[in-house]
Amino acid sequence: MRNRGRTAFIITYLAPAVFLYALFVIWPVIQAVGFSFYKWSGLSSNKTFVGFDNFKSLFHDSVFWQALLHNAEIFIIGGFAILVIGIGIAHAMQGEGRFTKALRSVYLFPNIMSLVVVALLWQFIYHPRIGIISSLLGKPAPSKPGAPVVELSILGNGDKALPAVIITFVWFAVGFYIMLFSAGIRQIPQEVAEASKLDGAEGFFRFRKVTLPLLWSVGRIAVIYIVINALNVFALVFLMTQGGPDRKTEVMLTYLYEQAFVNSDYGLATALAIANFVVVMGVSGIIMRLTRKDPSGVPA
Amino acid sequence: MKTNLLALGLALFGAGAILGGCSGGSGNATPAGGGNGKDLDVVSFQGGFGIDFFQQAAKEYEAKHAGTHIKVTGGPRVWEQLRPRFASGNPPSLTWPGWGMDYWALIYDNQVFALNDALKTPAYDGKGTWGDTFDPSLLKLGEYQGKQYELPYHYNIMGWWFNPDVFAKHGWAVPKTFNELLALAPKIKAAGMAPITYQGQYPDYTIKGFLFPWVISVGGIKAADDAQSLVPGAWKSDAFLQAAKMIKQLRDAGFFEDGASGLSHTESQTDFLQGKAAMIPCGTWLESEMRKTMPAGAKMQFMMPPVADGGKGDPSAIMIGIEPWIIPAGGSNHELAIDFYKYMTSVDKAKQFVTECGTLTAIKGSDQVKLPPVLEEPVKFYRASKTVYSIQFDTWYSTLGTESKNAMAALLNGSVTPEEFVNRLEAAAEKVRQDKSKPAHTMTH
Repeated sequence: MRNRGRTAFIITYLAPAVFLYALFVIWPVIQAVGFSFYKWSGLSSNKTFVGFDNFKSLFHDSVFWQALLHNAEIFIIGGFAILVIGIGIAHAMQGEGRFTKALRSVYLFPNIMSLVVVALLWQFIYHPRIGIISSLLGKPAPSKPGAPVVELSILGNGDKALPAVIITFVWFAVGFYIMLFSAGIRQIPQEVAEASKLDGAEGFFRFRKVTLPLLWSVGRIAVIYIVINALNVFALVFLMTQGGPDRKTEVMLTYLYEQAFVNSDYGLATALAIANFVVVMGVSGIIMRLTRKDPSGVPA
Repeated sequence: MKTNLLALGLALFGAGAILGGCSGGSGNATPAGGGNGKDLDVVSFQGGFGIDFFQQAAKEYEAKHAGTHIKVTGGPRVWEQLRPRFASGNPPSLTWPGWGMDYWALIYDNQVFALNDALKTPAYDGKGTWGDTFDPSLLKLGEYQGKQYELPYHYNIMGWWFNPDVFAKHGWAVPKTFNELLALAPKIKAAGMAPITYQGQYPDYTIKGFLFPWVISVGGIKAADDAQSLVPGAWKSDAFLQAAKMIKQLRDAGFFEDGASGLSHTESQTDFLQGKAAMIPCGTWLESEMRKTMPAGAKMQFMMPPVADGGKGDPSAIMIGIEPWIIPAGGSNHELAIDFYKYMTSVDKAKQFVTECGTLTAIKGSDQVKLPPVLEEPVKFYRASKTVYSIQFDTWYSTLGTESKNAMAALLNGSVTPEEFVNRLEAAAEKVRQDKSKPAHTMTH
């Protein structure tokens, strides 16, 4: 009797959240899976069932793989930078010095800014003429025909555009990870830190042998967040480069946007969304599996 | 375990949000042409011309036709709001959905009302049929398989622009041929200016401003028509290769503004108006687009893109483009929508549009007004032209359109050779030819 009452109590409290989650997350996901089997312009209710054709086209589409590779580059390069900078700054922020306090008050600024503002700000930084980088590196144009062309453009340059976007991605995202690691470091019991000090563990050695293993669980969460953010990056790329020049910054979701809103191919776009979902889930699953134990073999 | 669940939940939520964003719905379409016969929902793209003119026209129409209520709304990215309305069967009665709308997908999906019968009815002022009031070459652009789906309102002329004061000050003559351009460019550079700038973030400007004028100049209008009609080999013809080589030649010589490949349309146009570059490709919307930010005293004058020396194309060939209005098949009150559009396209209203908005309209006789100074030159060239053409392939075949822009960005960046450029275009055209789901179009002159 008591158990039944407890169950009813739990159901009553869970039901609204489960209902809303089902309505706004689960149902759209199911719908999207359904749409991916159709040829559909997204401009009418006319749909033609095409089976797995959309997935087949995606599999044979070199642009999709190119976009996925760019997502992977953002994840690996950007993610590595975020982890290193995040842990480093979080560690440095544990002191009580004036600089540390100042750092604590500003590190989240980029993260709380609108992504649109971030994109505009960095567009100015990368601007071929008024941008700070071009101003520092720029040279006057060659005056003789045949002289090498001085290319001041960063976002318009195929080799520089993706690294430029990754830098912006790291700059925007890192504050959140500093906060995450900072909280993780504060969770480490004081006595552990003191005991390791007494045992002579100092500096980087202590960081590597004591702090890092104790941050393992937080690190796993951070990596999963980075997977989601890097594989689902859209607004930043769309606002800064629209995937260009010549698809050099194309990512899965900008390509999805192109299929849906430029090519009016909602079926293919939803197939791409499913592929994106599978990739995010797959990579997250692999990372969770690989990191289920910390380097010393203790389960996280 | 808790961590695992949390991480899995995060992944699910992130990916779910994406998927959720792509879901759509389907609803019951309003009966075609239904409604109470008196209300009209007009949605217009709100660009450089605004929507004030159309709102004023609605008020005038309401005053002339008691009991009618016309609501005109708009937005700068109005096509994004219109997509779900079309998908749910609730489109407006009359719309100019803007450059971001895939008009042809709407037409293929039977979402646009065919206007052949309406065009045979009398014009608003009763003189001749409504169809006769349009410039036939512009009306033709909205036709598909013998049916008239799109109706032009205003149109643009595409070309190059220069500052006449700057040219006069330095004693420079406007280059009429490519060799004249090559001779003039070093002088412009010596004066501390870039000879040419362009809207690097949007390569369609350079496709329309450099590539096609030179394709036509080298190979004649047939070279361009064949490419737009997807004739095998047309995109890698000698005309395209030569045109691509001309672009590369300008790039390699350093005649384009440094960093132009990263500039937006307004940034490059501002550079031109600030005297950092001597010439820029753009359409006749340039003045209205830049009016608010134009430096005091800045001047702009239209010029034809310099033609290829010894080319077989018509040197008077000129490019125009329309941004059409449509009557959605699922919209309400077709008759009223047609009548209101007839009112907007009456000669008097069209003349008023030319004067107030500073652009040309597709209505015959609407240019018989005192044209804004900036339109005088383009209209002179348009009237003198023996070949008027329009770029349609990018809206007919969006994948080819996108690939042409990407390839153009690569050519301007120097990351592909002219040969690679034309091969990429031909490969993209071949893909479209193989895609039997895309209806074929033909361009002729």
